Amino acid sequence: MTNFNPRMTVLAAACACVSTVASAQDATLSNPAISAVLDGYYQSAERPMAEREEGFGLGHTELALSANIDDLFYGKLTAVLETHGSETEVGLEEAFIQTLSMPAGFSVRAGRFLSDVGYLNNQHVHTDAFADRPAVYRAFLGSHYFDDGARLDYVAPTDLYWTMGVEAFKGESMRAEDEHGEREFDNIGVYTAYTKLGGDIGISSSWQLGLSYLRNENGRLTAHEAHDEDVVIEDSHDHSHSHSAMYTGENTYMADFVYKWAPKGNYKYQHLTLSGEYFQVSDFAPLAAHELADAHSVEHLPDDQTGWYVSSVYQFNPNWSAGLRYGRVDTQELHDDHFHEQSLKETEVSLAWHHSHFSTVRLQYTHQNGTNFDGIEDDNLITLQYVMTLGAHSAHQF
Amino acid sequence: MRINSKVIQASCLTVALTLSSAAQAALNVFACEPEYAALVHELAPEANIYSATTAMQDPHQVQARPSLIAKMRQADLVVCAGADLEVGWLPMLQMKSANAKVRSTDQGLFFAADHIETLDRLESVDRSMGDVHAKGNPHLHFDPERLLKVAEALHLKLVQLEPDSKTQYDAALADFSARWQAATLKWQALAAPLKGQKVIAYHSSFRYLFNWLGIEQVGDLEPKPGLAPTTAHLAELQHRAQQGDVMAIIVASYQDERGAHWLGERATLPVQVLPMSVGGNEDSDDLFSLYQSVITLLLSYSQP
Repeated sequence: MTNFNPRMTVLAAACACVSTVASAQDATLSNPAISAVLDGYYQSAERPMAEREEGFGLGHTELALSANIDDLFYGKLTAVLETHGSETEVGLEEAFIQTLSMPAGFSVRAGRFLSDVGYLNNQHVHTDAFADRPAVYRAFLGSHYFDDGARLDYVAPTDLYWTMGVEAFKGESMRAEDEHGEREFDNIGVYTAYTKLGGDIGISSSWQLGLSYLRNENGRLTAHEAHDEDVVIEDSHDHSHSHSAMYTGENTYMADFVYKWAPKGNYKYQHLTLSGEYFQVSDFAPLAAHELADAHSVEHLPDDQTGWYVSSVYQFNPNWSAGLRYGRVDTQELHDDHFHEQSLKETEVSLAWHHSHFSTVRLQYTHQNGTNFDGIEDDNLITLQYVMTLGAHSAHQF
Repeated sequence: MRINSKVIQASCLTVALTLSSAAQAALNVFACEPEYAALVHELAPEANIYSATTAMQDPHQVQARPSLIAKMRQADLVVCAGADLEVGWLPMLQMKSANAKVRSTDQGLFFAADHIETLDRLESVDRSMGDVHAKGNPHLHFDPERLLKVAEALHLKLVQLEPDSKTQYDAALADFSARWQAATLKWQALAAPLKGQKVIAYHSSFRYLFNWLGIEQVGDLEPKPGLAPTTAHLAELQHRAQQGDVMAIIVASYQDERGAHWLGERATLPVQVLPMSVGGNEDSDDLFSLYQSVITLLLSYSQP
């Protein structure tokens, strides 16, 4: 609550600006790009680990301000309002500066920002083709991983797009479950390294491949005391609205690809996006548990936690697009001294109507198939959602 | 050790020389649209020119794709239409390419619209008006006088970036300017029968062409800028076409022809696809042949 007031001031200031410079097109110091995202939905049930609740609700209501600060720095601030039940939370999703004039293709970003690991993570959720992130993102990254830290990025001067970067973050939202609240966590908890390659195939197709590694110093679970603590763990699942990752490990390896196609490369009428990502999370078992397991020779080390998804979205005319996504996540839940394997599979179909570039109404059907996952066995759910943007036309990422 | 350091010095020198001579050899130019790639080619024939889009692609909706980031990373000069035409993708490319040289119009960034008076500027913009540009219509390359002004400004930019090549750039501009002015007079005479003709067109893509030749656009296939044609709107246009004074329905090479054909069949009007830029049809391989092709195609419908 101590930070509440400054945040509200920022919001109020931004709101005040909207009316006077809503037509702002160029992001300059006197004329920053201001945009708001309105997201509302009705949903017949809740997805596990997701931010949207059952029934009517508001998703990410965003207010973003960005501009070049001077010739050396660019700055962006994104405030997010989220409602959970009767509570309204004000959060800062982005508040960063980025260098504009470093030589040789280098740039530095500092502050709070979305990590560049994976493909979807650095994209804003309102640009997604589905109502929620794939289960693998919800399980391992808390839907989207943003944090306080710094990034160094380099783009190579080659015709084949090649970028690489390293990041360091506080890592609070990526900490392993700490049931006793006694654990001393590292202050800089998360380090990442990523590289992306990309290019065109002919005039109609483009592609990008990415490899990322995330080191989480606080990702390993601590051993259970010999109490009946299962209840505490189960409780954590009701915490599904926090942005914290639900399943963590010390090492996470990610691979992603995206392929886009449009006839003659003209994206106005038809285009296809195929994408997929794979995550592997290892080294999460408590060290003490190993010893215990070895001693008794009963329990073996659990398998790595993994997850993946593939998604295909086709816009068949400027007003309509349809998407199909399949994903699964296999996680390990600690119960006393041993792990329970869990699995969640999701098959999703979405149909979206776009009246203009700025308004989308989406109907989505999700079929969930779970094993030991929050009691999900064979569930169906329907989401009806709108996502609309107003203000400055923000540029989209590939 | 002495030998080693000499070897290192020598190789450093070689690398430095290679790099500097490579930089001298050719300016890397990133053009947002093919018309500006063609213009740069007229003014700096030695330059390495890359066009981010083709005449078959809508420049409003371009993906900030990896290949474009890679090209912009290496660019010494970026030439775009401006007036917010590229607002949905150019800022992302600038951010991702981390190339300080092409960040500001003080340096290697050039917007054509900054150097001319655009048509249809708006005092205030409301999204209920559609996807309109407050800074005016950015499709300015179909006005020969404005394009010549852009060429003169672009020439100054080239000289600013490479003052040592001023003589060559001056000569290239003089040559282009002379040929362009002569061609403009020829086109004006050729296109005289088009004056006062009425057309229905898609978007305001040919606003400058029609303004220059005195053609009147009496209907737009888009109900509002950026929105796809609807049946109700097309039916209204059919009603308008019944007055019998419309010459043709005009569509640009990157636009969907279905709405135009729907209307064309019902209103018995010819549908003509015009190249939006260089490469938009077989005849258009530079700015001169683009203008020639567009005027020739339009003349085939004009009734004397």
